[in-house]
Amino acid sequence: MEAVNLFPLFLSLKVATIATVCALVVGLPISYYLSRSNDKISDILDSLFTLPIVLPPTVLGYYLLVLLGRSSPIGRWLEEAFGILIVFTPTGAVVAAFVVALPFFVKTARAAFASIDEQLLNAARVLGRSEWDIFFTVVIPLSWRSIASATTLVFARALGDFGTTLMVAGSIPNETMTMPIAIYDALLAGDKKMANILVLIMTVVSIALLYTMKRLEKRMIRGENDAVRRH
Amino acid sequence: MLYVAIKKTFSHFQLDVNFTIHKGVIGILGPSGCGKSLTLQSIAGLQQPDEGIIQLYDRLFFHSDKRLHVPARYRNVGYMFQHYALFPHLTVYENIAFGLKKWPRKQVQHTVMNMIENVGLKGYENHYPHQLSGGQQQRVALARTLVTKPSILLLDEPFSALDHHTKQVMEQQFFSYLQQHFSGIVLFVTHHLEEAYRLCDELILYDRGRVIQQGKKECVFHEPDNVQAAKIVGCKNIFPCTVVEKGDEVIGYVNGAQLIVPAHKKKSGATYVGIHSHHIRFVDDAICNAFPFRIIRVASHVYTYDVTIQTDHFILQASVSEEQWRHMHNKKVYLPPEHLFFLREGG
Repeated sequence: MEAVNLFPLFLSLKVATIATVCALVVGLPISYYLSRSNDKISDILDSLFTLPIVLPPTVLGYYLLVLLGRSSPIGRWLEEAFGILIVFTPTGAVVAAFVVALPFFVKTARAAFASIDEQLLNAARVLGRSEWDIFFTVVIPLSWRSIASATTLVFARALGDFGTTLMVAGSIPNETMTMPIAIYDALLAGDKKMANILVLIMTVVSIALLYTMKRLEKRMIRGENDAVRRH
Repeated sequence: MLYVAIKKTFSHFQLDVNFTIHKGVIGILGPSGCGKSLTLQSIAGLQQPDEGIIQLYDRLFFHSDKRLHVPARYRNVGYMFQHYALFPHLTVYENIAFGLKKWPRKQVQHTVMNMIENVGLKGYENHYPHQLSGGQQQRVALARTLVTKPSILLLDEPFSALDHHTKQVMEQQFFSYLQQHFSGIVLFVTHHLEEAYRLCDELILYDRGRVIQQGKKECVFHEPDNVQAAKIVGCKNIFPCTVVEKGDEVIGYVNGAQLIVPAHKKKSGATYVGIHSHHIRFVDDAICNAFPFRIIRVASHVYTYDVTIQTDHFILQASVSEEQWRHMHNKKVYLPPEHLFFLREGG
């Protein structure tokens, strides 16, 4: 039996991790803004951020190709100014995973932020704290549990993306071929054994990840309760 | 001195108030949704009025013509929220120290521990808000505010979250503590009549976003200026009347009945006459203001009865003691002239 090429697994984990970090950095301020405003602009933005959930992956991939391809202004600018290529590169896979997964983060985090009592924020304001400070000392501590589960969700979604990644990054072996694409590739080539092995690996890794997150979350909750009980 | 003259328009509501306060405990009394809390929030900087001026002593907080709106965090205003708004993820100590971020650490510890002892929460500094009783939570909220040495104290229904039994005790403690530790203006919002009367020196009556009367609490309660004000201070007997002056008396004609009122109570433009239900008496006979009656409805309370009375001319609400209740039959209902007051229409 030939050795199983684990490159797709590591690529997938890498892509999902980077996409998740990006989703956190971009998603937190956006979700906070959406949770605290009620105007037309926020409604439009909200629909825009929900769109990737609704659109077929191929449509999403097509948009990204048009928007970020070498012939597009943005794509050309990225290439000329930074030497960054998006299409058919691992970077493209990150972008695809990020766009696909971001809505899940924004949805969850927005709901968590919206459930925070406005009076708590007002109390902090009256006590002399800036908005920036309030975000880190009141908002985040009160919603970190939802943010943690949103992050898990984003990671899982990014890890499993197929369609959009295939459109944007392609399926170049040992370069842009992520786990889901490798499985499809193996099946297409009639290599059922390979497909089975890859599916098994993917399943085990996913279960292990989700379980670890759950344990971590539980331990933190327990730690919190203990801290309360000790006094 | 606090000067407030602001306007703010919403789709279904308009706030348009104007008042000046010099010192003491001032109550804003009015039905819910009349703009009381909105006024407090504007003073604190949590809401921005459309136009007007807010000035505390020599500091301008808001001035629409000068495009000035000092953010809440720079106003140094003490604000106690209706449900206290304690940070649930912080301990009592951390809650109270929250407003002292810029202080040196040593000083914070000393000040906060002192404050905790002051409000009688020693030993609770590491508790979380949900582990405290309502009264204790209230004290944390007060301590958290007073520790920042605010220049004015705004209280938004501070007792509404307490149950009836602890309320009266807490009121007493709260205000005696305030008197010892705070000398500035206290602006106190409530929709509770008796609370306002017990705790405030001066009252501002609100109705649908406007100030309808301001004055010493005794004046406001016993001599409301207009119909809306009378309703807010709990007057249940308000009748349209025609006013006729006659020597040193004024006569109000209500539906053909003659009500005699002392001349000094005369009020220009008055078209209504009112009397509080607890001022109504029952007598065998009197020179004036006495009428035969029959009882149409009785609602009994723990110690008093609310009686609805019908005379030939009008229907009255009287609040009578058990003693009075037993002896009121076969008597006449008497509206003492000194307790009658004239009212202007509207507010």
